[in-house]
Amino acid sequence: MERNAMKEHLKKMLGADQVLTEDLDLLYYSYDSSFLTKLQMSAPDTVVLPRSTEEVQKIMQFAYENRIPLTPRGAGTGETGGSAPMSGGIVMDLSSWDDIVEVDAANMQVTVRPGVIHSELNDHLAGFNLFFPPDPGSSKMCTIGGMVANNASGLRAVKYGCTEQYILGLEVVLPDGRVITTGGMKSKAIKNVSGLNITKLFVGSEGILGVITQVRLRLFPKPKGRGIVMAVFSELDDAPRAVLEVYRAGILPSGIEILDSSAIKAVNEFKPHINLPDAEAILLFEVDGNPPSVEWEGTTIVEIVSKFAQTVEWATEPDRMAALWEGRSVTAAAATRVRADGSRIFAGEDISVPLSGVADALRKIRALGKKHGIQVVNYGHIGDGNVHTAPIIDPENPEEVERALKLVDDIHLLAIELNGSTTGEHGVGAVRREYARLEHGDAVDMMQAVKNALDPHKIMNPGKVF
Amino acid sequence: MNLKEVPLLNEQLKKCVRCGRCRTVCPVLAEIKNETVAPRGHIFMVQALRDGKVKPDAQVYDRLSNCLLCETCSGVCPSGLDIPELNEYARSYIYEKNPSMIKDALFDSIWTRPSLLRAGGFFMWAANKSGLQGFARTLGLTKLLPGGLSKAEQIMHDPVMRTARATLPVINPPRGNKKFRVGYFLGCGTDLFSPSVAIAAVEVLTSWGCEVVIPDNMKCCGLPHIANGKISTAQDLAIHNLKVFNDLELDYIITDCGSCSSAISEKRLKMLLENQGYDEQIERFCSRVHDLNTFLLDIVGIDNQGLKPLNLKVTYHDPCHLAKAQGIRQAPRDILGLIPGLELIEMQDSDRCCGASGTFSITHYDLSMKILNRKMKTIADTGADVIATCCPSCTLQLKHGSNLHYNNTPVQHPVELLALAAGQES
Ligand SMILES: Cc1cc2nc3c(=O)[nH]c(=O)nc-3n(C[C@H](O)[C@H](O)[C@H](O)COP(=O)(O)OP(=O)(O)OC[C@H]3O[C@@H](n4cnc5c(N)ncnc54)[C@H](O)[C@@H]3O)c2cc1C
Ligand code: SF4
Ligand code: SF4
Repeated sequence: MERNAMKEHLKKMLGADQVLTEDLDLLYYSYDSSFLTKLQMSAPDTVVLPRSTEEVQKIMQFAYENRIPLTPRGAGTGETGGSAPMSGGIVMDLSSWDDIVEVDAANMQVTVRPGVIHSELNDHLAGFNLFFPPDPGSSKMCTIGGMVANNASGLRAVKYGCTEQYILGLEVVLPDGRVITTGGMKSKAIKNVSGLNITKLFVGSEGILGVITQVRLRLFPKPKGRGIVMAVFSELDDAPRAVLEVYRAGILPSGIEILDSSAIKAVNEFKPHINLPDAEAILLFEVDGNPPSVEWEGTTIVEIVSKFAQTVEWATEPDRMAALWEGRSVTAAAATRVRADGSRIFAGEDISVPLSGVADALRKIRALGKKHGIQVVNYGHIGDGNVHTAPIIDPENPEEVERALKLVDDIHLLAIELNGSTTGEHGVGAVRREYARLEHGDAVDMMQAVKNALDPHKIMNPGKVF
Repeated sequence: MNLKEVPLLNEQLKKCVRCGRCRTVCPVLAEIKNETVAPRGHIFMVQALRDGKVKPDAQVYDRLSNCLLCETCSGVCPSGLDIPELNEYARSYIYEKNPSMIKDALFDSIWTRPSLLRAGGFFMWAANKSGLQGFARTLGLTKLLPGGLSKAEQIMHDPVMRTARATLPVINPPRGNKKFRVGYFLGCGTDLFSPSVAIAAVEVLTSWGCEVVIPDNMKCCGLPHIANGKISTAQDLAIHNLKVFNDLELDYIITDCGSCSSAISEKRLKMLLENQGYDEQIERFCSRVHDLNTFLLDIVGIDNQGLKPLNLKVTYHDPCHLAKAQGIRQAPRDILGLIPGLELIEMQDSDRCCGASGTFSITHYDLSMKILNRKMKTIADTGADVIATCCPSCTLQLKHGSNLHYNNTPVQHPVELLALAAGQES
């Protein structure tokens, strides 16, 4: 369809204030948080901002009939180019559709529209003493729709898992405009194994199968107690060993974070007052639950970890916990300040390896950094083997960029070689699809078959996932 | 200006990782919910402008001007970007490339001439002459004015007949022994729209032994020019004001206005006059500059002696340029705390922008009113009898809001209330 005719049609359909058509405005939809979209700019032909299922349905039908590519978008905080329109067409910005439809406290669930921001949902739920446990680092900016589409998680995934475990049902508008409700049309049940699990098909589908227009989430009661153990290691290998021993003792902390020497250095340079000890690794264990069990778990962790660590500290007092956690909370920011003339980039940032391979992975990533002459800062969720690597480069120096991209490729291949995955939580998007066959083999054909069945004209978010 | 040659801008652009953290706090984005007004979007556009991917034209200027320069985003940016500052550079760059875009009359001819300003305020002048509609048309501002201008006129609902300068002498002698000789950086907003603040400030200062000098040749702090893409005029103004105040024998320099004090802060002035050989003059000037509230508390050391009770419920709105740009939050509250009987009731999100931002409320009236409505709701929830704040631009805006939604509740500077408690006739 001719570009201007498409714009006019959509304006008529939705009203001018819900459609962006000026070339200048469209440029703002050429990026997300990925480094890829800093390198290449691919703008849509139109942006639509629907705020009802009917509107989404009409737009989808229009796109389907006219074979126009359509890319759903939340807050654009994905690190994979997932919400960037690689083939132009329509970008559907769902971030302004942010109603909390119903908090059903009696049934421990909430129904929301896709644009609700994660932290704002949890702030609202706090009034009911409930929470939605997955906690991405982007909690203050990412949308629930984006979290479902990317199956996001965070540093508490060790205990609470990923978004998928909390999705009781979805409303999805399919590429041809049909609307389905998964998890039971009228169901308010928490337990439900009726039918094929279509819900899970859409969780983590990265916008390539349909548009998520409503989400019914399972909630947990908010834990009353919390405590932090900080352990400092002179040997990197002792860190994962200590983690394993803690698990063996029957303790499942709510988070276990690692800063390796590169991250420790970056933090100390950025905020000297934090003054982390010079070490090979620092682990932070977070435990939560009832105050007596928190106390028991914390002191038991101290006992176990002391066998491996140089120093160990346990705190439940809020100020002290905040002080112990501060180093971790500023790591990402610190990585942007390592070089005055550069920054960290979001690329090769999310590999996941078996727990037993974490120390090996960290060492090998550092060696790869050396090989390509690129400084790296490593931190991550060691509790489930998810390593975040921040390459530090001058993003405006093409030669450095080229070296960084080679490093990123090596990091992804390393993850597969170590029996891990190229992405633990951020997703594939446009940046990791080239590894699909290597990671999944013929299972990719099955993915393709599902995609073809739902989206025969291949209009949904082309150029992503596989 | 060549954007590629502004070191600060280039260093910062590299550091934006497009994480989007700044999105959720932006008061403009909360109203116009799309990426074109996101702080991250502004940074993207500044970069596109620098790299020649977009033309420096009125359209780009228009997008960049959807920003209150309120600094809220900078406060949360993990990479430490000064987002509004980059925006200001970009606006200035576009302005330079398109000098006819906004006619010079507004910022060069009027705002730089105290005599014209003093003739009753340029807004009053303009409104009387042709109404704001006509005024904007003459200046070629209409394309920048999506909001109805006739509505914007209402913000100036309360014409002031005598400006502060017309009321106060240049030298205001201290009462009793002279403690300090204080220069008063009397900003345009206070002079024109809130002269009662200046009168109260002089009253309090002189009664605490300060001789107050209000130089009649000082000019605007330059913030409106920076915000509207006229950095070179702002530079001229800064150089002029440095000379005026540095030539006077003064112990201190104070200002009642949060926007002025942020514009004449050392960080800002050094950036504005980078590599132009003014560092020494700036240091001499800035080492003496204080916000009125902190000056009274920390240097004059005022207390509550002799203050009569004011049985009022007061809520305090934190001006962006005072609270976010300078971190001054407690001092105005402490001034209010000195007054017996006065009950301070905190509103929710007291540092959320009120939508005024100098000329923004005129150039973006409808949007500004949406932002103001949120503010007024949190104010109404407190049930306060008086709204206190330390910025003439916020004061005008909140007065307008209180007119529309809140029974004309008065809006006053904490020092006005202090003067009242000290016995100044209202
Ligand atoms: C600083 C930072 C920290 C981060 N930390 C974490 C972390 O700890 N854990 C983690 O998992 N992720 C993290 N992320 C990545 C990112 O925030 C998450 O993937 C998040 O879920 C994306 O949400 P969004 O609203 O920004 O979605 P977007 O980036 O806009 O979109 C992401 C994908 O979802 C699709 N999509 C969005 N909405 C819909 C919808 N309604 N229907 C169908 N498809 C849709 C898009 O097409 C795209 O493919 C981080 C990102 C940043 C910048
Ligand atoms: S918070 Fe800072 S780094 Fe993140 S997108 Fe905004 S300006 Fe860029
Ligand atoms: S300065 Fe204020 S209005 Fe401007 S982008 Fe930042 S938060 Fe938004």
